Amino acid sequence: MATQTRTPTPTQSESARKGKEKIQQLRELFADAPELGRKALDNVIQELTAQATQPAPEALESAGRAGVRLGKVSELTIVVPFAPGGAKRLRAFLQMIGGNLSSGATRVGTLHDMRFVFLENDTKLLFATAYDGEWDAYIDDFATKIPDFLDIIDSAWEGWPGIRSPHAKDYLAKHQVAAEGWFVAHPDLTVAETARLKRNGKALDEFLDKISA
Amino acid sequence: MSSVTESIGGTLSTSTPTLELQEIQATILRPRPAPYFGAHVLFRIDDARAGREFIRRLAPHIASATNWWNAATAWLEIGISYAGLEALGLPKESLESFPEAFRVGMAARAKQLGDDGVNDPEHWEAPFGTGQVHIGVSAFSDSEEKRRRALAVARKQYEGFSGVRVLAIQDFGAQPGDRNSLGYKDGIDQPAIEGSGVEPLPGYGRPIKAGEFILGYPGEAGIPLPMPRPDVLGRNGTYVGFRKYQTRVGAFNRFLRANGRTEEERELVAAKLVGRWRSGAPLTLAPDVDNPALGADPKRNNDFDYANDPHGRQIPFGAHIRRMNPRDTELTRLTDVNLHRLIRRGTTYGPPYDPNALSEQDDEVPRGAIFLFISAKAMASIEFLQQEWINDGNFIGVGNERDPIIGRQEEGATFTIPKEPVRRRIHGIQTFNVLKGGEYFFVPSMSALKWLADLK
Repeated sequence: MATQTRTPTPTQSESARKGKEKIQQLRELFADAPELGRKALDNVIQELTAQATQPAPEALESAGRAGVRLGKVSELTIVVPFAPGGAKRLRAFLQMIGGNLSSGATRVGTLHDMRFVFLENDTKLLFATAYDGEWDAYIDDFATKIPDFLDIIDSAWEGWPGIRSPHAKDYLAKHQVAAEGWFVAHPDLTVAETARLKRNGKALDEFLDKISA
Repeated sequence: MSSVTESIGGTLSTSTPTLELQEIQATILRPRPAPYFGAHVLFRIDDARAGREFIRRLAPHIASATNWWNAATAWLEIGISYAGLEALGLPKESLESFPEAFRVGMAARAKQLGDDGVNDPEHWEAPFGTGQVHIGVSAFSDSEEKRRRALAVARKQYEGFSGVRVLAIQDFGAQPGDRNSLGYKDGIDQPAIEGSGVEPLPGYGRPIKAGEFILGYPGEAGIPLPMPRPDVLGRNGTYVGFRKYQTRVGAFNRFLRANGRTEEERELVAAKLVGRWRSGAPLTLAPDVDNPALGADPKRNNDFDYANDPHGRQIPFGAHIRRMNPRDTELTRLTDVNLHRLIRRGTTYGPPYDPNALSEQDDEVPRGAIFLFISAKAMASIEFLQQEWINDGNFIGVGNERDPIIGRQEEGATFTIPKEPVRRRIHGIQTFNVLKGGEYFFVPSMSALKWLADLK
C-alpha cells in the first residue's frame, strides 16, 4: 500500500505560497467591492484557494510580437478608430456577405473564429480572432494572395498603410491589445489538424461499420 | 562531363539580363560546378583599418555575376556578419538600418529558428555563435588545382599583416557521383530568378522576382524589400544564412535497416523520406523503381508537379522536397510558395556516404554539409522555413511530423507514407543532420565593397 501522506516538493510549496498571496491580494481588492461581489468571493474562496495553490495548468505564452498563445492557438484583439466613413463602408461590406465571413476566412486556413464589433457609436472597431501559430510569419503571403480583401476591410481603419506596405505589421502590432484571460478547449488542435481528425473519424466509422456488418 | 545546363539550371535567354550583373557577387546566381572543390574561410577583424585594407585588397578578386553561367574558372565570395560590419567601423545609422535578426545573429535567434535540443547553440563548434566570426570567404571551383590557386590568392591578401586573423578553414568538395553526405544527388531544384538572363529548365516554375533574392529590385509584392543604408551599401547586395550540419550516417543507416528487410525496401524508404531516389529521380516520375538515367537528366529530373499525386502516394506530403517546394500541393493555410524559396549552395565535407556505416562512432565522424541559404530576406525566410515547413507538419496536413532529413526530431517522431489501402507510419525517425553552427552574413555588391574599404 502506498502511503497516504505526501511531502510537497519545493515547487509545490512555492506555488502554494504564491497562491495564498494572490488570494490575500484578491480579498483586499474585494474589501470595497459591492456586497454581492464580496459574498460571491466568500462562497467560492475555498475552491479558488485550491486552484491558486496548484501549479498553473498551462501558461499563456506570447504569440510573437503581440497577443498571447495557448498551445498552438493564438489570440489577436485589435481596437482601432474608424477612418472617416469607414464604419459605414465596413458595415455595408459585412452586410453584403450576410455577416458571415466563412468563404474568405476559410481560405486563410488558420482562423478558428473572427469577429467585428462596432463600438462607441461607430467610432471604433473591436476586431478579435483566434488563429493558429504566428500571424506575422504569413503577412507577406496575405499581401500577395488576398491584398484586396484585406485592404477593403482595413481601409476602414484610421491610418491603415495598406497590406503591401512595410509598415503594415507595425500598424497591427501598435493597435493590438493582449488578452488578460483566455480559454481554448483544445489548445493542441490547429484548424488543419481538426479537419484531419474529422476525416479520420469518418474513415474509422466506415471501417467499424464494415467489420461489424 | 555533365552539361552546362545542369549547372546553371536553365538555358541562356535571348533577352539581355536586366540585373546589374557586374555589381552582384557571382555566388548568388552561379551554382556549384559538378564536380566541385572549395573551402570556407572564417576571419576575425581585430583592427578596423586592417579589416578595411583586407577588403580593399580582396575586392578585385571577388567574382561578379557577369557571365555567371560560365563556371570554368574558380571564384571567391565574401560575406560580412553584423559583428564584422561593426568591427569595420560602419557608421551607427548604417548599422541600425540592418534587420534585427541579422544584428543579433543566428545563435541569438535560436528560439525563432527552433535550434534547440541537439541543435542548441550551446553545443555548436567554435567559432560559430561566439560573435567572433566577422568575415566569411568561400572559394568554389571545378578542380582541386583551381581551388588551391583561388585560396592562395585569398591568402595573399591577409597574410603578413596583423589585425585580421583566420579563425577556421573548412574544406569542402563533391562526393563521388556528386552525392551528398546521405548518398543522394543534391542541388536539384533551385528557384529561377527573373532578369538573370537564363530561361528556367522544365519544372522549375516561373521565374521569381529578383527582389526576393537581391536587394534593390522589386520583389513578388511589386516593391523592393527594405535595404540597409546608404543605398550604395545595400543595392545589389543580399544576405546568406550559413549553416553547418553534421550527418549521423550510422543512425540513418540503422533507421533504414529497421524499416526495410531488403536492399530494395530500404532504398524505397530512403526515397520516400526525400521524395527522390538517391539518383535524383523524383518519385512522381519513377514511383516504383529507380531510374538513374532520369535522375541524371537535368531537363527531366525536376519536370513535375503534384497534380497527379494529390494524396501523396508517390511523394509523401512530409517528404523533404515536397516540404521545401510544395509546388501546386494544396496547403492547409493560405501560402504564396514563391515567397519562401531560397537559393541554396550546398557544400559537402568529410568522407563520402558509407551505406555500411552502422555504429554510433560513425555518427561522430565529421561529415556533412554546409549550406549557404541566399535571399534578400534570408533571416526571415530561414526562420519561416524552420518554424513552418521543417519543424512542423501542420502546413501540409501531417500534424506534428517534421522534415525527416533536416528536422530536429522529438522523441517518438514518426513519418507517414500514404498508401492504398492504408497508410504506413514509420517510427524511430531521429535527427539525422545535427546543426553544428551557423552565422548570418551580408553579401555586399562590388560597389559596396569599395565603399566599405574607403570608410574612414
